[in-house]
Amino acid sequence: MTYYITTLLVYAAVDIIACIALNMQFGVSGLVNFGFILFQAAGAYTAAVLSLPPESANGGFQHYVLGLQLPFPLPWIAGAIAGGLVAIPIGLVVLRKLRGDYQAIALLVISIIANLVITNARPFLNGAAGLSLVPAPLADQLGSDAVGTVEYQYFYVAISLVCVGLVLFASNRIANSPYGRSLRAMRENEVASAALGKNLLAQKLTMFVVGGIFGGLSGAILVGFIGLWAPAGWLYPETIVLFAAIIVGGRGNNWGAILGAILVPVGFFEATRFIPNFGHPGLIPAFQWVAIASLILGFLWFRPIGVIPERRRTFPRRGAG
Amino acid sequence: MSLYAAAFGFGLISLAVIAVGAVGFTMQFGITNLINLAYGDIMITSAFAAYFLNHAGVSIWIALLGGAATGAVFSFLLNRFIYAPFQRRGTPLIGMVIVSLAIGIMTSNLLLAFVGPDNVSYRQDPGATVRAAGMILTTEQLWLIGLAVALMLAIHALLRYTRLGKAMRATAANATLARNCGIPTGRVIDAVWLITGALCGMAGTIAAMNSDSFAVANGPGLLITVLAAAVLGGAGQPYGAMLGAVIIGELTELSAAVISPEYKAVVAFSVLVIVMVLRPQGLLAKFGAMEAAG
Repeated sequence: MTYYITTLLVYAAVDIIACIALNMQFGVSGLVNFGFILFQAAGAYTAAVLSLPPESANGGFQHYVLGLQLPFPLPWIAGAIAGGLVAIPIGLVVLRKLRGDYQAIALLVISIIANLVITNARPFLNGAAGLSLVPAPLADQLGSDAVGTVEYQYFYVAISLVCVGLVLFASNRIANSPYGRSLRAMRENEVASAALGKNLLAQKLTMFVVGGIFGGLSGAILVGFIGLWAPAGWLYPETIVLFAAIIVGGRGNNWGAILGAILVPVGFFEATRFIPNFGHPGLIPAFQWVAIASLILGFLWFRPIGVIPERRRTFPRRGAG
Repeated sequence: MSLYAAAFGFGLISLAVIAVGAVGFTMQFGITNLINLAYGDIMITSAFAAYFLNHAGVSIWIALLGGAATGAVFSFLLNRFIYAPFQRRGTPLIGMVIVSLAIGIMTSNLLLAFVGPDNVSYRQDPGATVRAAGMILTTEQLWLIGLAVALMLAIHALLRYTRLGKAMRATAANATLARNCGIPTGRVIDAVWLITGALCGMAGTIAAMNSDSFAVANGPGLLITVLAAAVLGGAGQPYGAMLGAVIIGELTELSAAVISPEYKAVVAFSVLVIVMVLRPQGLLAKFGAMEAAG
């Protein structure tokens, strides 16, 4: 039971970080990043190849680059940086000239291409089979026996929650700053915001990189915990789940993103896990996807602002207070 | 050398499949201003409708018509009961993209629940193999290429020479102005969904006929190829979509011969990304609205 709860908490932390990151892009800045999962994958792969031993270890059954076996915090930091770095070229391609809905499609396409390339290019990141036996953080220092213990599970939850705290703090600082205000202005009306002298491309690119960094971090946390990462785990519908979470929780509000992350990817999938199996093996997941899609449609129709809507900031009238 | 000639032949059939799908997609977008990401899933649903007809003993060609009808009715109802109400509520463009993606996921998974994840194939007779100039195609594939050409000519005639086509172009250029000029834009849009839905259903069925077997999981792949061709040619431009289909179709098959079949899709999408960087409005003309034909 403890294992179950701690595992769930780590998943929740990963999803919360991803949802906050996507919320900063989609909710606050109005960037519809249908390729978000790509940044999580970049972070996860980076963290994995930096913490794995060289590929000749483990009998050389999988092929990958690097294999540097770096000590704990470095792979996570590198994962976050990788997410941010990947965001720069993609952002430059997509955000420069394209209209909003084209950007969304371009990102969807890029996410699918990236998945195809990684799947087919085996020597780079072990292709379709993906990387496995990724060492858990501090496994070297604590010894491999320590990794399976309850204490280690609590430790992992703790460091994940610290990361959630950092991400939430940074995101709220950005969202509540004057910079956040000009991001919202861009979301509401690009033309007016450009007319006021805001550099839209710079703002979008910055938020793209910020989201990429957080996304990369979430991937690094996840891969350290589950120990494997394969192309099948980051197909484009995973991004849609995160969108569902934000739409349900309330776009533009980081607390809404947190609530959405707890309700949709964690709560929903856990709740439906206990449905007894019937029909062919793909039947339950199929209904899960149908339900996720209905959730998106239902919320967009009945309550587009989500459960915890964005707070409209008001200022007292000068002289009235 | 014969390898390339053969690849060119395979390119002809795959461009025929893509052209039918991409023209339907781009007309939908050009006239209704809605990016329908459920398109690929409607294609595969229609292919399955044709499959059930086919296995009930109907010939594959009549089943193809059944697939087209399924696509038409599905798209029409989808617009009437989901897209149009959301648009009337003032859902922004981006919101509509998310709605259509949700519909796509819902469609494909309902289909998955219904037919299961397995690969199926049509009962069909591909006919004698025809060899000409190094290309190897079956009689059926030749018929399909002919069908695609006929459909393209029909679309051209529709847009160019009929009142409905003129009304469609007017609606695409400026819906409000068209309505003020007395064009019943509501009925025009209904017609657009029926016609493009039929193209969508037909493209799905042709794609399935042309591959040995198909499954629900093929939906996203179909969508992406169609999107690539449509965006490459300039979204909303039927002639652009035809050009995009030619480029994507030939390029994927030729690159399969030159590099490796695994990178087929990667090559196609890389071209798409390069076009988006260098010429984001697509190869042919303007953004958004469908240009007057001719």
